[in-house]
Amino acid sequence: MAPEFVLGLALLIIGTVASAFPGRRDYLTRLIHLEIPAWGLLLVMLSYDEALALFTFGGVSALSTFIYVRVMQKREAA
Amino acid sequence: MNELVMAVFGAMLLIGAIGTVRSHDPFDKLISLGVLVAGVMPFLADRGYLDVLAATALIAPLSTIFILMAMRREGHGP
Amino acid sequence: MIELLLCAGIAGYAALRVVLERNTMRKLPFLNVVSFAVAGAIVLIVPHPLAVLAAAAYFVGSTLESNAIASTWAGGGKKDE
Repeated sequence: MAPEFVLGLALLIIGTVASAFPGRRDYLTRLIHLEIPAWGLLLVMLSYDEALALFTFGGVSALSTFIYVRVMQKREAA
Repeated sequence: MNELVMAVFGAMLLIGAIGTVRSHDPFDKLISLGVLVAGVMPFLADRGYLDVLAATALIAPLSTIFILMAMRREGHGP
Repeated sequence: MIELLLCAGIAGYAALRVVLERNTMRKLPFLNVVSFAVAGAIVLIVPHPLAVLAAAAYFVGSTLESNAIASTWAGGGKKDE
C-alpha cells in the first residue's frame, strides 16, 4: 500500500472524530477541525492519481469554508 | 523520494494533526494547521503534480483567511 | 542527497518545536522555518524547471498565511470598537 493512502486514512479518522466530538462545543472549533479530513481526502485522492479530482476538490474546499462562515454569521446575527 | 525523508514528512503531518486537535487557543490551532499543510506538500511534489501543488498552495491560505474573518468577528484577540 | 536530508531534518525539528512551544507569538518564527525548509525540499525532490515556480507559489502562500495570522493576533478585536 502506498504511504499516502495510509496517512490519508489516518488523517480522515483523526479529523472526523475530532470534528464530531470537539473539546469546546463551539462552531469555530468544529470549523477548524473540519480542515483536517479535507487534507486527508486530498491525500487519498493523490494515491489514486486523479488529477482533475485534486483540482476540483482544492477549489471546492476553500469555497465551502467561505460559505460555512457566511451562513454561521448570518445565523448568529438573526 | 528517499524513505527516510518520506518518514520525516509523514511524521510532520501527524504532528500537525495531533497538535491541531490538542491545542485550545484558535490561533494555536491555525498555526498547527499550517504545519499540517506543510507536511502535505512534499507528497504532492513526489507524485509529480506540480500544477496541483501551485494551485493548492495558493488556495490554502484563502481558507485560513476566511476562518480568521470569523475569528475577528467573534472578538478573539490577545 | 545530503541537502535533502538536511532540509527534512530542519523541517521535522521546527515542526516539533512549534507544537511543543507554549507561547503563541513564539510559535510563528518556527512556522516560518518549516515553510522555508519545505520550499527547499520541494525543489530538491523534483528535478524539473516547473518545480521552482511551484515552490515560489508555496512560499508566497505560506508567508501570506503567516502574516494574516500575526496581523489578526496583533489587532484582533480593535476594529469593532
